[in-house]
Amino acid sequence: MALQDYLRDMEGCSRCSSCKWVPFNQVKSWRFAKNCPSVTRHNLHAFSGSGKMIMGLSMVSGRSELNDTVTEIIYRCQLCGACDTACKVYRDDIDLMDVLLALRAHCVEQGQLIPEHMLTIDALKREDNVFGEPKARRGDWAEGLDVKDAVGEKPQVLFHAGCRYSYDPDLRETVRGAVRLLRSAGVDLGIAGADEACCGGRAFELGYQGESENFADDMVSRVKATGASVLVTACSDCYAAFNYLYPRMGKELGVELYHITQYLEKLAGEGRLRLRQRVPKLVTWHDPCHLGRKSEPFTGEWKGDKLLRPVTMKRTGKKGVYDAPRNVLKSIPGIELVEMERIKGYAWCCGAGGGVLEAFPEFAAWTAAERIEEALATGAEALVTSCPWCLRIFRDAVEETGALLEVYDLTELALVSAGEGVLAGGAAR
Amino acid sequence: MSVEEARREFVELLGEENVSWEPAVLDCYAWQPTFNDDPDRWVKRPVAVVLPSSTEEVQEVVRICNRHGLRFKSFSTGWGAWNGPTFDNVVQVDLRRMDRIVEIDAKNMYAVIEPYVNGAQLQAEAMKVGLNTHIIGAGPNCSPLASATSGWGVGHDSIYMSYSARNLLGVEWVLPDGEVLRLGTLGSSGEWFNGDGPGPSLRGIMRGSCGALSGLGIFTRCALKLYNWPGPPEMEIDGIMLDAKMEVPENIGYYMCFFPDRKAFSDAMYKLGEAEIAYNALATSFGGYFDILTPRLFRKIEHADSIRSMIVNTFKYTLAILFAANSARELAYQEKVLHAIVREHGGFAMDVTRIKDFFSMLFMSFVRATIPALVFRMGGSFSTALDRNDALDSQAAWREVVREIKEGYIRKGQILDDLADNPYFVPYENNTWCHCEVVYQYDPRDPKHREALEPIFLDVTIAAIERCMEPLFTSDPRVRRLISPLAGNFSKYQQAISRGLDPKQAADNTLYSAEADFDFSGIDPQRVRRLQEVVEQRRW
Repeated sequence: MALQDYLRDMEGCSRCSSCKWVPFNQVKSWRFAKNCPSVTRHNLHAFSGSGKMIMGLSMVSGRSELNDTVTEIIYRCQLCGACDTACKVYRDDIDLMDVLLALRAHCVEQGQLIPEHMLTIDALKREDNVFGEPKARRGDWAEGLDVKDAVGEKPQVLFHAGCRYSYDPDLRETVRGAVRLLRSAGVDLGIAGADEACCGGRAFELGYQGESENFADDMVSRVKATGASVLVTACSDCYAAFNYLYPRMGKELGVELYHITQYLEKLAGEGRLRLRQRVPKLVTWHDPCHLGRKSEPFTGEWKGDKLLRPVTMKRTGKKGVYDAPRNVLKSIPGIELVEMERIKGYAWCCGAGGGVLEAFPEFAAWTAAERIEEALATGAEALVTSCPWCLRIFRDAVEETGALLEVYDLTELALVSAGEGVLAGGAAR
Repeated sequence: MSVEEARREFVELLGEENVSWEPAVLDCYAWQPTFNDDPDRWVKRPVAVVLPSSTEEVQEVVRICNRHGLRFKSFSTGWGAWNGPTFDNVVQVDLRRMDRIVEIDAKNMYAVIEPYVNGAQLQAEAMKVGLNTHIIGAGPNCSPLASATSGWGVGHDSIYMSYSARNLLGVEWVLPDGEVLRLGTLGSSGEWFNGDGPGPSLRGIMRGSCGALSGLGIFTRCALKLYNWPGPPEMEIDGIMLDAKMEVPENIGYYMCFFPDRKAFSDAMYKLGEAEIAYNALATSFGGYFDILTPRLFRKIEHADSIRSMIVNTFKYTLAILFAANSARELAYQEKVLHAIVREHGGFAMDVTRIKDFFSMLFMSFVRATIPALVFRMGGSFSTALDRNDALDSQAAWREVVREIKEGYIRKGQILDDLADNPYFVPYENNTWCHCEVVYQYDPRDPKHREALEPIFLDVTIAAIERCMEPLFTSDPRVRRLISPLAGNFSKYQQAISRGLDPKQAADNTLYSAEADFDFSGIDPQRVRRLQEVVEQRRW
């Protein structure tokens, strides 16, 4: 939908600024009461969810024009969706997140492009991944694992690594560990290797919705070609794309979909994954935006007055994946989970999303450092998450700030508890 | 006037990222649809927005405005049309970088805060040391400093903590010429504990009854009185609003009381005020609850007269009351007193703590005033141009007057049907005084609804003046012109104060001291005649 199609949403904004705060029932302190990295860092109202909607309204009403300044404000935002969750505590008739996405698509349509994002899109077109790394090397991460080729060997479960896990050398061990863990539980698993491609979710968020749709079509046909009945992904971004974005675009993967945390929970529940080794650690869990509020399933498009839209069709962020990773953590002997103040649907973003890491790295780092401070405030020794983008930026932030905090992917802890690895310096080896 | 030069100086003072004159950015300050009866909903676009981070920077911003013939308009959290500019040459001073809780003095029970601390933040921190802060009914997203120094605000907690201005202690005030004035003990000894002395006390001039809404300068810090909080230091709640789940905290009581008629309700309220037992209290209505909890259902039963009549008449005089006791024994005493008063007045009381889900849903709505903003759900917007403060039984009668006015508009489809009975009705000052703010909901995107806003406002104004009741919305220059002659020509005094403190008229003072005529074009002539008639009759 075009920006002007969201006129009712935009002019529905009352400017109450609830979008800037953790839902008020859950405000537990002065320090961690704010929810939006964009306006918290930049302060002008234009940077908030409300402000961006009002800028959209202003432009659609012919009061102002899209230019470089406005474009930068639109893109200095991780699209984390915390504003949308907070707004929807009080509003049934505004889909703030959809307006933010429409604003970006509008920028692209108008030729207001962010140079760093153009590089990402070029990389996607050229090599099917957001980094522009050689397509042929996408499966290198699995070298020596002796894992089935999903295309030829018809595994029951297709494991999708995602761009970041495939190409980030520091994170390869994590995703290799995930595969080892699944195989130790007897899962009939395969990967697409060099035939795996980007899910297209990042292109959608950058405003290149046509490109995204091409990747979705491609993904659907590739998944179908494997004959797998289950798809497990280790990447939260990919999970959100598969669970929400594809159905929104009318694309069906035709498989049972799991994020790795959900699948580990299922395996543990079935007794196939035995987490017996003690991992004595006080940890806190970071809800990745794409695994949490942004993965909430697509519920159909409502035509007409949203005030009369059934509540079941309103995306509130409550139906994201929150319990599965916590349940896995709690099932690991020795792990003690202590929660941060901003969690689940109102979690603070890691900072890497929405193209911010690529275009505005200092803002991304600032956002991550905020989360690190919140994690430290719990007294935890380790921050655990399950998203390669979060993992990357948190590890960088810890290094940058010198914070005494270990950062793990959940699978790393599970791997150790399953007796398949040891913890070393914040990552399983 | 040199806007360009002023902008350059602002950048020099605050840095590029804290100043903007980008049109789309400025429009974020010009879009003020709430409590705005102008169907256009945009207010004047400021010539720049600036983000100072200290009192010194605020002073310099004000001086730059003075030097260049610009006006300034500040706000804290910025919700409501009164936060926007009313002139063409206004610099919007967005105070959100001044967001610190400077101090919580637990022993002396006060907090010192900056403008952009909101009610939820201050409450969360105060509760950790066994204290609580007054939160206005508009909700915890609002700035306690703003309502205490510059506006007005009652809340669910007013029965225990009164209204915003009552809780104001020391104040730091940047005058319209850039000088800083420190009031109360802050002015004499640097201590915050008293707003009235020893040291200068200008409380009446500083804010009067309704606050100057930035028309007399900018408040950069203030101390607010805190109150005892015997509940848990941190709330353990799962869920974010209507889905909330929690255990009933120790020594907390929560009742819904139902009374047979208006007199019984009012008399019982007076008795409850005398008894001094309640922590929070709010008269409620079936319409008030269920239009926000089940707005779609309400849209379905619009205009169904028999259902409406049954619901309204069954639950007409309802009171929600919360106890927060220091011990189980004190709670038992409070509950015993409540039951005796309710029984004496022919009512009955329902213990909400026994209905755990209902309690969970409503508890924070009371303690933190989180629920009022749900009035957005029904139509997307609301207004409360029908509010006033007066003796409690007078307010109980006023509620019914307004209900009749609302019924007419509901029947014509010009506002949404909330059974016409949706008061924000909170007692304070031992229940001798009461705030009644009758809410009505509308869809701001519906031109028919927007066109009704001004006529409703006029009808209510007429009704109030007819009954010699306390005037409404005196910050509106049109109302000020009408009613100033009925109330000692207060407007003339305000204008004199404004000229004295602000010789260059640098503050955007429209909402403090300006007068204007109503635009009667498009308004039913009979209604206009009636207004002129009642004003003439009541003139001193």
